[in-house]
Amino acid sequence: MSVQVVAAKMAEVELKDVSAGKALPAESPVTPTSEDKTLARNEPQKEAGSSAAAATTPTAEPSAKAGEGNRGLLTPSAAKMPQASALKHSDPQQNGGDAFVNRDGTVAEAPRMKKIQFADQKQEFNKRPSKIGRRSLSRSISQSSTDSYSSAASYTDSSDDETSPRDKQQKNSKGNGDFCIKNIKQADFGRREIEIAEQEMPALMALRKRAQGEKPLAGAKVVGCTHITAQTAVLMETLSALGAQCRWAACNIYSTQNEVAAALAEGGFSVFAWKGESEDDFWWCIDRCVNVEGWQPNMILDDGGDLTHWIYKKYPNMFKKIKGIVEESVTGVHRLYQLSKAGKLCVPAMNVNDSVTKQKFDNLYCCRESILDGLKRTTDVMFGGKQVVVCGYGEVGKGCCAALKAMGSIVYVTEIDPICALQACMDGFRLVKLNEVIRQVDIVITCTGNKNVVVREHLDRMKNGCIVCNMGHSNTEIDVASLRTPELTWERVRSQVDHIIWPDAKRIVLLAEGRLLNLSCSTVPTFVLSITATTQALALIELYNAPEGRYKQDVYLLPKKMDEYVASLHLPTFDAHLTELTDEQAKYLGLNKNGPFKPNYYRY
Amino acid sequence: MSETAGDAKPEVKQASKEVKESENVAEKYSAMTVSKNSEINMGELSSVFSAVPTHKPVKKQIQFVEEKQEFSRFPTKTGRRSLSRSISQSSTDSYSSAASYTDSSDDESSPRDKTQVNSKGSSDFCVKNIKQTEFGRREIEIAEQDMSALISLRKRAQSEKPLAGAKIVGCTHITAQTAVLIETLVALGAQCRWTACNIYSTQNEVAAALAERGVAVFAWKGESEDDFWWCIDRCVNTEGWQPNMILDDGGDLTHWVYKKYPNVFKKIRGIVEESVTGVHRLYQLSKAGKLCVPAMNVNDSVTKQKFDNLYCCRESILDGLKRTTDVMFGGKQVVVCGYGEVGKGCSAALKALGAVVYVTEIDPICGLQACMDGFRVVKLNEVIRLVDIIITCTGNKNVVTRDQLDRMKNGCIVCNMGHSNTEIDVASLRTPELTWERVRSQVDHVIWPDGKRVILLAEGRLLNLSCSTVPTFVLSITATTQALALIELYNAPEGRYKQDVYLLPKKMDEYVASLHLATFDAHLTELTDEQAKYLGLNKNGPFKPNYYRY
Repeated sequence: MSVQVVAAKMAEVELKDVSAGKALPAESPVTPTSEDKTLARNEPQKEAGSSAAAATTPTAEPSAKAGEGNRGLLTPSAAKMPQASALKHSDPQQNGGDAFVNRDGTVAEAPRMKKIQFADQKQEFNKRPSKIGRRSLSRSISQSSTDSYSSAASYTDSSDDETSPRDKQQKNSKGNGDFCIKNIKQADFGRREIEIAEQEMPALMALRKRAQGEKPLAGAKVVGCTHITAQTAVLMETLSALGAQCRWAACNIYSTQNEVAAALAEGGFSVFAWKGESEDDFWWCIDRCVNVEGWQPNMILDDGGDLTHWIYKKYPNMFKKIKGIVEESVTGVHRLYQLSKAGKLCVPAMNVNDSVTKQKFDNLYCCRESILDGLKRTTDVMFGGKQVVVCGYGEVGKGCCAALKAMGSIVYVTEIDPICALQACMDGFRLVKLNEVIRQVDIVITCTGNKNVVVREHLDRMKNGCIVCNMGHSNTEIDVASLRTPELTWERVRSQVDHIIWPDAKRIVLLAEGRLLNLSCSTVPTFVLSITATTQALALIELYNAPEGRYKQDVYLLPKKMDEYVASLHLPTFDAHLTELTDEQAKYLGLNKNGPFKPNYYRY
Repeated sequence: MSETAGDAKPEVKQASKEVKESENVAEKYSAMTVSKNSEINMGELSSVFSAVPTHKPVKKQIQFVEEKQEFSRFPTKTGRRSLSRSISQSSTDSYSSAASYTDSSDDESSPRDKTQVNSKGSSDFCVKNIKQTEFGRREIEIAEQDMSALISLRKRAQSEKPLAGAKIVGCTHITAQTAVLIETLVALGAQCRWTACNIYSTQNEVAAALAERGVAVFAWKGESEDDFWWCIDRCVNTEGWQPNMILDDGGDLTHWVYKKYPNVFKKIRGIVEESVTGVHRLYQLSKAGKLCVPAMNVNDSVTKQKFDNLYCCRESILDGLKRTTDVMFGGKQVVVCGYGEVGKGCSAALKALGAVVYVTEIDPICGLQACMDGFRVVKLNEVIRLVDIIITCTGNKNVVTRDQLDRMKNGCIVCNMGHSNTEIDVASLRTPELTWERVRSQVDHVIWPDGKRVILLAEGRLLNLSCSTVPTFVLSITATTQALALIELYNAPEGRYKQDVYLLPKKMDEYVASLHLATFDAHLTELTDEQAKYLGLNKNGPFKPNYYRY
């Protein structure tokens, strides 16, 4: 009993910590005005320095070509290829993102201007710069968010029709024209996509069944801004089945699956999104979502905070009717904490990014599989007996190590945190400094969330054929820029794989040019996205139905009970049978039979 | 290093035999009262708590699966309750692995009646026999080999003497490991007076060695209840010496001081408590507004928790099963009830040996973790007929009932890794139609009328406490944590700690871990200034936010 009380106390303190944090360097996330654009544009140069600048020029062209050439080969991920080339051009902007947006997974730390704290919570931040190159519109960091498009980007080519959707008048079969998408005729195709996704999102389907009788979202008017993919469509249709009205825009200018948007529009959803929006289109779409006569949203589902920001800037009055914001990305959450700290948050907000289930799936479980997948796809390396060094033993590092060990690799770990280091020791990994093993290892994997973990000096000493890749954060961990020197030859051997050849003919195999291997070279399972979507749906239900006063104008973590519910909805997939407490047992433990089962500080 | 440890082992075994003898007494006792077993437990618990007058005897002392350890194994001579209230692995276990092997029966006169003087002429102690000093010294030296963290702490902090002026009164198990801790505290400048927190766990020769070195120790193996409190009182109630720090394990000392010498608290800078029970008592006090000094809960530090539960049980489940049954694990079907830290450890170990592992859970998050780790999550009833081994680690009661025991297959092994003796409903097996056959120490065959046998280990008490040992390394983690908590509380600037119960600061936790890395020849990477700036971290930690899950 008292233990639990104390736990609660602890949690509070943490949250207080959060709001008491220091300010971020720039308000840019909250003000996308032209001044800020310049500000943001300058910052990357400052932050990233010469490395980013160097990165832009020399290879932009080859990589672009590679992208073109491969488009036909990899159908499902075709979208990735042009993106790769786009990325090349915009590396500085990517770093620019780093400068002003915090994308570590850490709520508490986020507001303290520490950009990235923890190895395991980091995900690539912005892969696709917008066309104007100012910044990426994808601010999501969670695996589930950022990744949706890498696994399932639209495969109806958008280039077949060059007129902007904004100029077209389209109507769905019911005569409704309140949407704006690429081509309503692709609806059937999109429907099939959605149905496939439904197969792998049993939790949402179960939620529909369980909650449909009650319609817990009856009267909810949800305005959403997320990646628009088949998985999101399942979420939207679930919300709708639970009684909500939805209007939706995309949170990333590239990630929309046009056919899915079409299917949604056909189903009566007001969707404003297409693949390849311009910056202007992006804000126009958001505005069309929000600014409708006779309809005012009362819930916001956001991914990256752009929608929240737009409403905050343009329609502040709207917040009077809003019951809550659900935000899934690290960036968006960070912005909310900023607002909250400044006393400007006028509605309750739910941070779903840091729920236990989501964190575990985004990091540990997802990376445990994608490290093998990514390495196999790119290099066809055999793991057995290989010597591998994994830099960082957070959740991502733990996943990578476990997977590689299981394949028979000899795994070394580097760490800075003694507690994680001790964990590595007890899990049977040799804890070393990178320098000590750099000459002997066959594979180097970074997942620290830090920068310059692997530097030129290390790269110089690696043995021939050593594979270098990054699972951690953005493209900062490996000092790729230092490899752009005249004496080294770069050879692109296949998409995402570069050989860097030293004058003595030694070759290093660099994957994804130091960007995130799991985003560039492997896919995210729908199951992971299902965890996120379910969490979002439950957060909406919780906020919408919470009695007056339960949530104040602050940023909340998902209640543990909801977290447990998300997990329980996914158990049937494994045919897992949860044991129920008897009344006597529940009494003995002092627990409610239906949970929550653990105190807040429980570590899982 | 490991050689000496190896040498020590047979002796330790001998020792544990003795312990087992006393256990047998305990067993007889519990056999006598078996029908009321669970009530007794509750009774014991509540009497423990009623000893602290400020709060009701709450039934939910223990909430979390992972924090549960056997509570009271040794009934006191008076049979009222056990004096061992410690629950953490490191605490409760010390005596099962290293109880005194100098036989205490050779001398029947109570140490209280004897006057003994150490070689320096001091007689401010009360131990069984001061002459055992040399033997005890060897024990301590062996323990030092495995507690390199404390030794390096001595080296690192010796020049600063961070505990200079500290007067520590302690109440813990008195074993070679504790002795290393005490001598470390002394090396760091503290004066110590010590007593035992358990009437059986004292290693007499270690107590003698400590007394010889000038530590005022009041403890011997086989104290009576009355002796127990007398020892505590002698520790606290000294002329010309008032403690300013308390190191407690179980809360008895704190309670005694609180009851008898409330004025002493005026000088006390802090309490360090290591057991779940003691921590619980402190939280109760704090809640009632009666805690008048800061207290540090070292039980819930990350490092200690992981070692007490995950790492320790991962090894002791195999050890315990092998020692008792010599079972081969490959291909065996095992069901592990509960997937907390203990369950995770057991499952991982068994899987690694090729067993087919099923898991039962009540918490969907832990259930999902089990799924993702590759274990079938089932209800116990679904697999009860198939499995060869059943391991409980839920912290709950009646997880395995008679009904399930009836349906097990012949030769099924049933054991408990979780909490006390409540998880398996052993009482329900004490019926006339079932025959109990003790095949060896800690192993009973329960025989059904049709000849089916179920193998019950340790009569449903904790397998890891009864049938395996706790490595010194785990005790080293605890001792180091305690030492650092003392240093932190003693040196904290005025106002950092109020009259409340605190968790060990993360930085200290990290320091405990870092002191133990040397054992693994592990080389920690250091952040460059640039990297630290990029991450917004201090180069020396803390590296993670408080809510980080590890």
